[in-house]
Amino acid sequence: MFTRDLIEDLLSKSVEEHLNKKIEEIEKRDKEINAFITLNIEEAEKSSKEIQKKINEGNQGKLSGLVISIKDNLAVSNLRMTCGSKVLENYIAPYDATVTNLIKQEDGIIIGKCNMDEFACGSDGTSSYFGPTKNPRNIDYVPGGSSSGSAASVAADFSDLSIGSDTGGSIRCPASFCGVYGFKPSYGLVSRYGLSDMAMSLEGPGPFAKDTYGIALLLDVISGKDPRDTVTVENNKSYLKTVENFKDNDIKNMKIAYAKEFFEGVDEKIKNIVLDKIGMLESQGAKIEEVSLPNIKYSIPIYYLVVFSEFSSAMSKFDGFKYGHYAGGQDIVEAVSNTRETSMGTEVKRRVLLGTFITMEEFKGRWYTKALKARNAIKEDFKRIFNSYDLLIGPTMPTLPWKIGERISDPLAMYSSDILTVSANLAGICASSQPVGEVKGLPVGLQLHADSLSESKLLKGMRAVEIACEGM
Amino acid sequence: MQLHEDKYKDLNLKIGLEIHVQLKTDQKIFCECSSDYINSSPNNNICPICTSQPGSKPMGVNQKALENLLKIGLFLGCKAYEKPFYVQRKHYFYPDLPSNYQRTSQPILGNGVFMGVGIWEIHIEEDPGRYELREGKVDFNRSGVPLAEIVTAPDIKSPEYAREFLRDLLLSLEYLGVIRGESGSIRADVNISIMGGNRIEIKNVNSVKGIYKALKYEIVRQKAVLQRGGTITMETRHFDEASMITKTLRKKETVADYRYIPDPDLVPIYISPEMLNEIESVLPESPHNKKKRFMEEYSLGEEIVDSLISDLYLSDLFEESAKNSNPLEAGKWCATELKRRLNEKNLSVSTSKIKPKHISDMVGFIERGELSVKNAKWIIEDAVDTGEEIPVLMDKKNFYQISSEDTLIKIIEKIIEDNPKAVLDFKSGNQNALHFLFGKVVNETEGRAEPSKTIKLLKDKLCAVA
Repeated sequence: MFTRDLIEDLLSKSVEEHLNKKIEEIEKRDKEINAFITLNIEEAEKSSKEIQKKINEGNQGKLSGLVISIKDNLAVSNLRMTCGSKVLENYIAPYDATVTNLIKQEDGIIIGKCNMDEFACGSDGTSSYFGPTKNPRNIDYVPGGSSSGSAASVAADFSDLSIGSDTGGSIRCPASFCGVYGFKPSYGLVSRYGLSDMAMSLEGPGPFAKDTYGIALLLDVISGKDPRDTVTVENNKSYLKTVENFKDNDIKNMKIAYAKEFFEGVDEKIKNIVLDKIGMLESQGAKIEEVSLPNIKYSIPIYYLVVFSEFSSAMSKFDGFKYGHYAGGQDIVEAVSNTRETSMGTEVKRRVLLGTFITMEEFKGRWYTKALKARNAIKEDFKRIFNSYDLLIGPTMPTLPWKIGERISDPLAMYSSDILTVSANLAGICASSQPVGEVKGLPVGLQLHADSLSESKLLKGMRAVEIACEGM
Repeated sequence: MQLHEDKYKDLNLKIGLEIHVQLKTDQKIFCECSSDYINSSPNNNICPICTSQPGSKPMGVNQKALENLLKIGLFLGCKAYEKPFYVQRKHYFYPDLPSNYQRTSQPILGNGVFMGVGIWEIHIEEDPGRYELREGKVDFNRSGVPLAEIVTAPDIKSPEYAREFLRDLLLSLEYLGVIRGESGSIRADVNISIMGGNRIEIKNVNSVKGIYKALKYEIVRQKAVLQRGGTITMETRHFDEASMITKTLRKKETVADYRYIPDPDLVPIYISPEMLNEIESVLPESPHNKKKRFMEEYSLGEEIVDSLISDLYLSDLFEESAKNSNPLEAGKWCATELKRRLNEKNLSVSTSKIKPKHISDMVGFIERGELSVKNAKWIIEDAVDTGEEIPVLMDKKNFYQISSEDTLIKIIEKIIEDNPKAVLDFKSGNQNALHFLFGKVVNETEGRAEPSKTIKLLKDKLCAVA
């Protein structure tokens, strides 16, 4: 296993050398790829020396000097936190997000803050104020979003692991497009404290890695109850053990469902690769059955109604008085309008306006309240499936990565690309994406879902697929 | 009975209040910052949460704040709602609001009555920071201090009763120990309507006096407008503390839309029956009930009782002392002389050295005729100041009253002998002579002669001499 071997290497060789290799790689290629908004070289070098010392004494943390990049909507104290926006261009976070804090405690080296779609509003990594991220697999193509820099930094070997955030696929989509592993934990498993808001009832931070082992390792570190996030729950943090103790026999006990709705409108080549993997799992003894999720067709409108409403509320604080560019005006309303007009990108403004509209007293009943009700119907759909099955399997994205600039002027086409990922967020369950093949050199991702807080089942499924793909 | 109700009867005056009080807690409602926003330099008492830094999340509602809110509600006779309640976001742009929305819960309790005024609902919310308009500065120390909002029915029929209601309410909340004592700890939105006009809301009045003045002003203004053929349309007004008048803030057409949504960052809160039972079991008696009980149980007059219950510790001290002395006397002394001395010295029952035993002992001495009322006033002062026991003070001051007839007769005989002219005057019918001679006896005994006995014996002696 790649990440496990890497840690063994680090323990016997040099953490500083390892870090230097990453820095070299970044210097060589990040001008082109644009995975980072802010680098943290000096601090990283300092902590590599400290961690080396700990390793020599044999008391290093679980991450033992692995190089980790963090999406720029998560707070790392004393580092700039831009959320990919002009609004926060000069904002220095005065505190650590809970995940940041846990990574530091376990001796991960924070190499920098990753590029992303502005305030996580995007599916392809091109809406950042700091320029688009490019797909390391082919720089003419989008890397997926919104955690574009996180996926790209792992794919390009700029970092060993990364932390992104997933509101409707923002981890799984770029993981799929860049050919790395991405994991969206169940809602409440990982603290959101320090994660800048997009849609608070849907999102949370999650790991990127090159393999299941790396995902489980980082999940052990960042999960658990946090008094600073009331939605979090206790867990026993034995994910790495689950992956390490995985036996081929585990596949035989798996009951896996696939829903026809998750294959509708999917690119034929992607469909075939995923179906091929399903066949491999079946041949190894997994029980595979087709199921139906009748309400899934409503997931895109429901998802965007919830996102717009919560996002417009969350964005209220960016009035120009406390952060970023202040454009001024005759009165407070005009000052806020001018400031937003000149410092927010098109997609962000679109979402703020739509969200404001649908939460107005006059329209709330027609849109927002109805969306919340429909969301429950989707939750019920999944509940029913997971009463009988361990996992739900399908593709992550309906299409291959598109060329940079191709969809920027068509928001509806952009929204529809989230069709396979958003329902996991609406239901609060866990889901993953992992590379299972290629089409014309562009990666294809396979998505697994498991019930809320059934991360161990999901990791077992990921490991099974990982093994099935070995020697591909 | 509503004070001054008749005065406004023809107006069909209706007043309802939305009262905000700061709940007493060590920490703010959603973070661990100290809630003491006054004794700290501006923007010193803050953290990423109460300044709503990007990415920060509220911690759960402060437990103590919630407990105090429940105490208030149960005390005012409200029922707690059983279903889980959401904290909502109320959106509006203002510089003192770090996230440009205020977190405010759905109603937690409701359907209460206090002093005949219906309590519609009570909920919890966060206080914003403080915005100095003139300097253009914001201090976030206050941001996140927990508030209770108490919404009354429009049952109040006069400004005077509004004032009395608020004073009693504040007194009760102080009794309960659930609110912060600082100035600015009460703020209210005042709703008022009179016959022929629409409801007017006066926003954010900062004191009981201000609320009273604002109501008085509004009645005069609205009456005048209606008398001259004008109309009172629904609007929100602002009360100017300096000039004591109200001004238009916004008309109904531009009513604010706060776009309430449940805060997705907070799990809904459920109040368990166990928690309610626990709080109910430690609730103290309301001042209203206490007043009724004192008047019935101790036969005390209303004025005395009002004075006693104005201070929880004073009323406790009284009850304790009444166990070992005549309650009528103990009540009178506690309500008048003791209270006067405490006020003079700027002390409270708890900060002075006065104990229940002082009062009961003192009343005992008076009733046995061993201490004069005049000297008793001195005794109280000393007891407040020094805390020394009453018998000790009696000895020290030589306050024991002379009530032995033999001793008094001896002194009277001496005075009669020394003042022959006065005796003659008495005989010729001059009543002043009796007072003169009585004064001589009092002086002779340094005020310790028991007055009624002395007068009687003096009269007897004078008549005998005649």
